[in-house]
Amino acid sequence: MIGAGLAGLVAGVRLAEGGMRVTLVAKGVGSLNLSPGVIDVLGYAPGRVDAPREAIGRLVAERPDHPYARIGADAVEEALAWFTGRVPQMRYRGDGPRNLLLPSAVGVPRPTALAPASMAGADLRGGGRFVAVGLSGLKDFYPRLLADNLTRADLPEGATVTARHAEISASPRPGRADVAGQVYARALDDPPFRAEFAAALRGLAEPGETILLPAVLGTARAGEVFDELQERVGLAIAEVPTVPPSVAGMRLNTELAGAFARAGGRVVLGVEAVGATGADGRISGILIRDAARTRELPADAVVLATGGFSAGGIELDSHGALREVVLDLPVSGPPEGVPPLSERHLDHQPLMASGVAVDGMLRPVGPGGEPVWDNLYAAGTIVAGAEPWREKSGEGIAIAGAYRAAGAILEET
Amino acid sequence: MRGYRTILVERVDLGQGTTGRFHGLLHSGGRYVVSDERSATECAEESAIVKRIAAEAVEDTGGLFVTTPADDPGYADRFLAGCLKTGVPVQEIPAAEALRREPRLNPGISRAFEVQDGAVDAWKLLWGNARSAEEHGARILSYHWVTEVIREGDRVLGVMARDNRAQEMVRIEAAFVINAGGVWAGEIADMADCPGVTVVPGKGIMIAMNHRLVRTVVNRCEHPGDGDILVPIRTVCVIGTTDVKADSPDDYSIDRAEVQQMLDAGEVIVPGFRQARALHAWTGARPLFKDERAGEGGEDTRHMSRGLALVDHLRRDGVSGFLTITGGKLTTYRLMAETVVDAMVEQMGDARPCTTADEPLPGSEDGRHYWLGSRLAAQEEAMADDQLVCECELLPRRKLIEAARRRPGMTLDDVRRALRLGMGPCQGGFCTYRATGILHGLGDAETERADELLLTFLQHRWLGLEPILYGDQMRQACLDDWIFQGTLDVEHLPVAVPA
Repeated sequence: MIGAGLAGLVAGVRLAEGGMRVTLVAKGVGSLNLSPGVIDVLGYAPGRVDAPREAIGRLVAERPDHPYARIGADAVEEALAWFTGRVPQMRYRGDGPRNLLLPSAVGVPRPTALAPASMAGADLRGGGRFVAVGLSGLKDFYPRLLADNLTRADLPEGATVTARHAEISASPRPGRADVAGQVYARALDDPPFRAEFAAALRGLAEPGETILLPAVLGTARAGEVFDELQERVGLAIAEVPTVPPSVAGMRLNTELAGAFARAGGRVVLGVEAVGATGADGRISGILIRDAARTRELPADAVVLATGGFSAGGIELDSHGALREVVLDLPVSGPPEGVPPLSERHLDHQPLMASGVAVDGMLRPVGPGGEPVWDNLYAAGTIVAGAEPWREKSGEGIAIAGAYRAAGAILEET
Repeated sequence: MRGYRTILVERVDLGQGTTGRFHGLLHSGGRYVVSDERSATECAEESAIVKRIAAEAVEDTGGLFVTTPADDPGYADRFLAGCLKTGVPVQEIPAAEALRREPRLNPGISRAFEVQDGAVDAWKLLWGNARSAEEHGARILSYHWVTEVIREGDRVLGVMARDNRAQEMVRIEAAFVINAGGVWAGEIADMADCPGVTVVPGKGIMIAMNHRLVRTVVNRCEHPGDGDILVPIRTVCVIGTTDVKADSPDDYSIDRAEVQQMLDAGEVIVPGFRQARALHAWTGARPLFKDERAGEGGEDTRHMSRGLALVDHLRRDGVSGFLTITGGKLTTYRLMAETVVDAMVEQMGDARPCTTADEPLPGSEDGRHYWLGSRLAAQEEAMADDQLVCECELLPRRKLIEAARRRPGMTLDDVRRALRLGMGPCQGGFCTYRATGILHGLGDAETERADELLLTFLQHRWLGLEPILYGDQMRQACLDDWIFQGTLDVEHLPVAVPA
């Protein structure tokens, strides 16, 4: 496994649980720590999606180069059912085939397939009464903006929302003006600050209101923190993810890495994969470089999950040339004649969907569609053809793609 | 300072035009010693004055002129002779000494000359001047767009301006009107029925690189050309520039071929330039004056004078109470002001001397120059008491709140020009949301306006990013997309997405 993000960890867990000896190498901790902690499958295509499975069917019919066209809608469902069982402490909740509609930190009703129980209570589809509560030391959450936009939000017919805002000053670092979300989260793991925090919340909200808080409610003991806060305050609470670093993403990272370790997986962080050895179309080992040397890690199969541009799996040089950084695989960029970038920031940006093209078994392919290596698979944002931040499809592509790549390896060996 | 009651009108924000769109070089004059002697002398004198009166806005980096392998080796002797003739202080140093001071410089340089270039923060300079003017009783009306110069017979009596924020017309009556419209000065002169004041927009591109690849200003010792200046300023360095006649002064478009040209030019000065991270690109338009009545011609903007141009409309057009000052450079801004006000005083029959060369701007009284660590030093002192809204530019929340109280209704670009919001490596990736939330929380921006501020700022940052997206800045832009679109879903805020 190359890469410690969601795709690398998911493939690692499945393979290790399937009895494989798995080593995961990565330059650093994966980008899950930056992700909001929800599981998106398909949120916009391009209109807001209510039922992702059907929408994926339509999407792949229109865009045969989309990663979901290789992964298949069936695999998504199967993979998510398996995945949620691997991370029980996250307590993922969904609404069967339908997307939830959860408030983003700027008060946009954001579609997502699964969310931790600590977030799912803010589902806006049925409307509701909310009070957004800020923390005076946290600069990454603005309750008034959240509340005011929520009252203007585009909601399904019949759903009405009222929202107001408040702020509490309970702080794990009294006297410090700038307190990071992780600091709140770690402090809430400890009962004394949790009690102080609950006391500050009590009386802020009226019966029937749901309290929206930034997603900082605990790290290692988040489940306990959430339950106890609700009980002490006596009202429903929901976490709202905000800008990174993301406490909820860290929880998922920790739990998934724990599942991988328990299944016998080995993690080597701080090394860089720089190439492969192999013959007759099969990789026999991955070259990894650490501080002093380059050495070979023998492998029967390899999953490349190094991410797209943001994670560093794909690079663009100053002349406009695209490169896959580990194995120098062919990169699929914008088609000829299509402007790579638009002057309008929120438009489709074809260049940003660059990545490696894969076959039906999720193996990177060359220009003729033939696999580059028979035993090399790719999963996650490195796979070409999606702009997951626009589609709200990142976790679905990563989890289902990694699940399927791992499945293909298990079948083959 | 001379005791007149003064109103300044500016069509957008201070610094939104040419002043805020240059590379930050406070010219020693060396660039012009061969081709434009008058400009060279003016720059030499004025840069010394600006370092004194606006110390806070200037980093006294010093400068080098170096002969690279791509340059005509014969130019260096002409350069040296030109410096002596025009009064530009210069000293030749061994090439090896230049390379010791600037290890990234092209090791193939054959000659090196030390000059007194500096780096000047245009916005700090502007705010210093604005504060000084206000302390002397001036009123500054930004977002006031002049629509008419009021004339009665042969006299100019004032202007009509549209207040673009209050959406109303303002009539300003004045004993005298000075047209300092820069690249737009011709349009203003036309409104006064004084045709033929042609200001050619000489458009140039600049690219800020994320690191200070050099610590002194580096110029190529050659006839002024494209991409031959690298200016270290604050935490970045800026390469510039080109010179192309633009059809309109409002054309800020960025030509991708010029981006490549700048990167190639950077390689000549600092080998490996293309591997460095580019942060942001922009263009600005120099006001190059051509008086149609004087019959000067030519389309080649590179060879038009950078000298300042005073147009006396009384002598030229028989119109009194109206003067135009244009041309010039940021380095000679003070001299331009002195020149035009001297002419006004003379026409009014007054005798009030200019003192701008002697009186320091507010904030510069102690004469201490900006230094690279000054912002961090200030932040370390205030760290426990305040939040950092923008980590890249070390902007504390308190400063944002104070600015919003002073100037209600700012856009985030106004905040950027005043406080450098969003100008660092992440290009607004974190601070855009925070600044929006804070301004909305203060009640300074109601909700719909706050949503517009956020989306407009992201769009405006994108205009300077999209042409230079490669390497680490591509990586950053994709991370920013994960934040704003992925996590916050800002593209579905209930406002129209700005064009």
